[in-house]
Amino acid sequence: MEAVLKNVSVTVELLAVAARSNAVSQWDEQTLSRAFHWAKYCEHIYSRFHNNTAIRRVMEQQLQITNQSLRHVFPGYSHVSFSDLRRCQHVLLVGLLNNPELPITIMKTLFKTPVNIINNDFEDVTGICSHLIRCKSACKVLRPLSALSAVGADAEVQGEMLMERLGAMLSQGNELCRVEHFLCSVLQDSEGAVQHMCLVIAAALLTAKGSAEQTASQDFLLEWLQSRHNLLHNLCTMLPSAILKELAKGHQKFRDSFCHMLKKWATEMEYSITEGEWINNSTNTTVTFQKLTEFFLLLFEACPSVRRNTEEEMRLFKISDGDFDVQGLSVWGDLLSELNK
Amino acid sequence: MTELQPLSQLQETDELSLNVQEMQFWLDKAVAWGQADSPDTRKDTCRHLSRLRNFLQQILTQINNTSSTAEIMKKFPLLGQFLGRLCWNPYVTVGETSRQLLFQCILGLYTEHPSNAVEKKANQWIQKVLCQLATEDDVAVQALTKHMGVPAKEYHVKVLQKMVMWLKENVENNHSSQSEVNQSILSGSEVFVPLATFPEASPVIGALLQQPMTSISDSLNEDFFDALSSSQSRYGLQLEKQALVSLWCHSLPSLEEAVLSLLKSVTCSGSAAPQNLEHQVTKSFLPEACAQHCSIFLVVSDIFRSVLKQNETSQPVRSVVQTVTRCVLRELSLLQPQTSLKDFFPQSPSSLLVPLLTMPSEMPQEALNNHLKWLSSSLQRLAEDGDEGCSTRGRHHLFEAWFLLVQCAHWVQMAVQLLVTSKPEDRDPLLWLLTFYHHPTNKWHQRALQLVRVREAWDHLHTLFSASVFPVPAAHLQPLITLLSVKPQQPSPAPSLTLDLLVHFAVFCRLKLNVSASILQTVVDLSGLRDGAACVLSSLHLRVQEGSCFKSGDVHLRIRELQKTITQMN
Repeated sequence: MEAVLKNVSVTVELLAVAARSNAVSQWDEQTLSRAFHWAKYCEHIYSRFHNNTAIRRVMEQQLQITNQSLRHVFPGYSHVSFSDLRRCQHVLLVGLLNNPELPITIMKTLFKTPVNIINNDFEDVTGICSHLIRCKSACKVLRPLSALSAVGADAEVQGEMLMERLGAMLSQGNELCRVEHFLCSVLQDSEGAVQHMCLVIAAALLTAKGSAEQTASQDFLLEWLQSRHNLLHNLCTMLPSAILKELAKGHQKFRDSFCHMLKKWATEMEYSITEGEWINNSTNTTVTFQKLTEFFLLLFEACPSVRRNTEEEMRLFKISDGDFDVQGLSVWGDLLSELNK
Repeated sequence: MTELQPLSQLQETDELSLNVQEMQFWLDKAVAWGQADSPDTRKDTCRHLSRLRNFLQQILTQINNTSSTAEIMKKFPLLGQFLGRLCWNPYVTVGETSRQLLFQCILGLYTEHPSNAVEKKANQWIQKVLCQLATEDDVAVQALTKHMGVPAKEYHVKVLQKMVMWLKENVENNHSSQSEVNQSILSGSEVFVPLATFPEASPVIGALLQQPMTSISDSLNEDFFDALSSSQSRYGLQLEKQALVSLWCHSLPSLEEAVLSLLKSVTCSGSAAPQNLEHQVTKSFLPEACAQHCSIFLVVSDIFRSVLKQNETSQPVRSVVQTVTRCVLRELSLLQPQTSLKDFFPQSPSSLLVPLLTMPSEMPQEALNNHLKWLSSSLQRLAEDGDEGCSTRGRHHLFEAWFLLVQCAHWVQMAVQLLVTSKPEDRDPLLWLLTFYHHPTNKWHQRALQLVRVREAWDHLHTLFSASVFPVPAAHLQPLITLLSVKPQQPSPAPSLTLDLLVHFAVFCRLKLNVSASILQTVVDLSGLRDGAACVLSSLHLRVQEGSCFKSGDVHLRIRELQKTITQMN
């Protein structure tokens, strides 16, 4: 174990040197190859021990020490955590490419087009960047063609990744607040890509329920969603209706949250005599009466069993509003008449 | 003072002015492509890709021939802008060659020891652009991959796989070609031109190729098929069998490429081992394609014809032709198509077709000799009409007859085998057949001479392998060795014919095995034909295993022992 800790520590130092020191100007292809070998070794260490809480803690302690000493050497150093080790090679690559002292020969090696591209592994560092760029380009080229797929390949993959991560965190016995914190920070960092995040969350919830672990992760996500009203609101307004339907069909909790949200929107509505229709005056939503009706219909289509109970509820509300059959007096009455047209 | 500019300088300025105008053209193109991502710009990009590659190659040559970056930037101030814009065009960066050229151009502008501001700036720009290209991703992706700890490469590969699978499923489930999804795929299908070199995209490309003719022919164009056929061998694009067959149906060049590369791989490998030959032929999927589509077989046969016309005496080529034909016939018997065999061999003389296509194993042993005699005399008659100096029609018929014989060379092999046990009076028709097979053109009436020599060889072998005095004195072996070691220029039977006879005599004669082996070993040793002999033994072994020659109990054993003897020599 001591040896492993030492190796990991040394590799983290290597990462710092690669990114910040001018020692890289002396690097040749062999050095480069060895550096990536070490990074790969760390990735391997991560996959072996990330489920082992005891060893993980020891590793994290070691990393803290290493990080601290590196902070003294390199101003502005950003620390490397245990989970960063999973993408160690990528971190190394990014560091190197951003280092102005990187020699041109190394650049050339990284951007060469390797002869045998089929089994291109980091075993051989030649052409790593070329390979990466070619994959990204292929994705860009194919993306317009696959624009009609439900959530989109990106959101699907990211949703799967999210599920995997949640599953890992939960099975390691992490405190729930820590997991929540993780979700919040993901959300925060993708500020400005709200619609995309909605797709990702939807995709995560729609991944087929294979294992108990997956169900647990999805449950956790749904619980967390219930408390995030803004996010829930965005989900409902930004997702395509087909996806909303799938979500309502597949998850009781989502159905409940969705229904609850719709009812809340309904109560916030006020009738405007000048416009001749119900308007939502609260500042945090743009849902129109028309849209609200569509949402209710969608919900009922997805889960017919909900219809009866909800309509019964609406009838009771209408009665408490005076039970008039005139438009504009009770939002519930008007909803009911729209829904039963 | 120079009165005349040296020619090379003149040429350079010509090239230069051409490039400056071209540069503006291409820069305008790059700007237009980058401005909007519409189906029209995509189409335009894909249509220009091969010309763009040529232009990039020209630029690269220019960069390599110019001594400093400052100088080239002075000549072509728009160069940096142009290359930079191309970097962000995925249609350019997805193709192997275009990406390689682009990066080489950019890296070629780097200066090790920059001596002025232009060069320093260029260096910085190069590093910045390449770094961004490799590491930048959109905000959401970057956040998510960072938090999940997933490396960028893994992420993009997964996304790519998902997209390919989704596209493939949609193309395959194309029940109504009017479906919105399919329309969008097919109308955008020019994007598959740069993807032709992308092995990961082969599932989609395969699915597209297997679509019925009508929906593809409008959208998948020449460029696509060109790109596919040239990328087959280089980039290992693994197309499924049916996709390959479809590709060959649509694109003659790719079929030609496949046939020629099969021929090349067989004839260039040091010793074309017989057991590998059948494997290589089946691996190429050509026999199955030929069996499914008569038109493909006809094209393949035509290619074989022209190769053989230039290469009559090449045994490897003849073996390929024979093996392919054999495999095709086998596939045909499995498929049981409506087309008759005549459609597959339209140019072959009809009287010879069935006799030659029949396998020796399908006839009783006693009938074989007569059958071969008949074949031989039929061919001789054609030869009289078709030899040098005769009518074109006659020559054409003779060539077709010979070509059919090559395709059905199992009869030639049978003839060799029967010659071992022939009585002297029966050997002539068989020998003629062999001579004709190995030397179809009778230049300057050499066949008569060749026939004399091959008779000599047979006589020697016959005497040798029925002799009663052992060990055979070296003097007796000498004439045979001379015949075997002779150079091809002289009008003598090709060494392979004599070697064939020798090996068959050793296997099928009535002598004891060790005697036979020692004769073979000595002769082969002294004439340096160990590899050739081993080769003949291997193919004989294969034929015996397949049951195409009659199996007497110890033929197997004899062949194995002889193989051992040959390989033990050093």
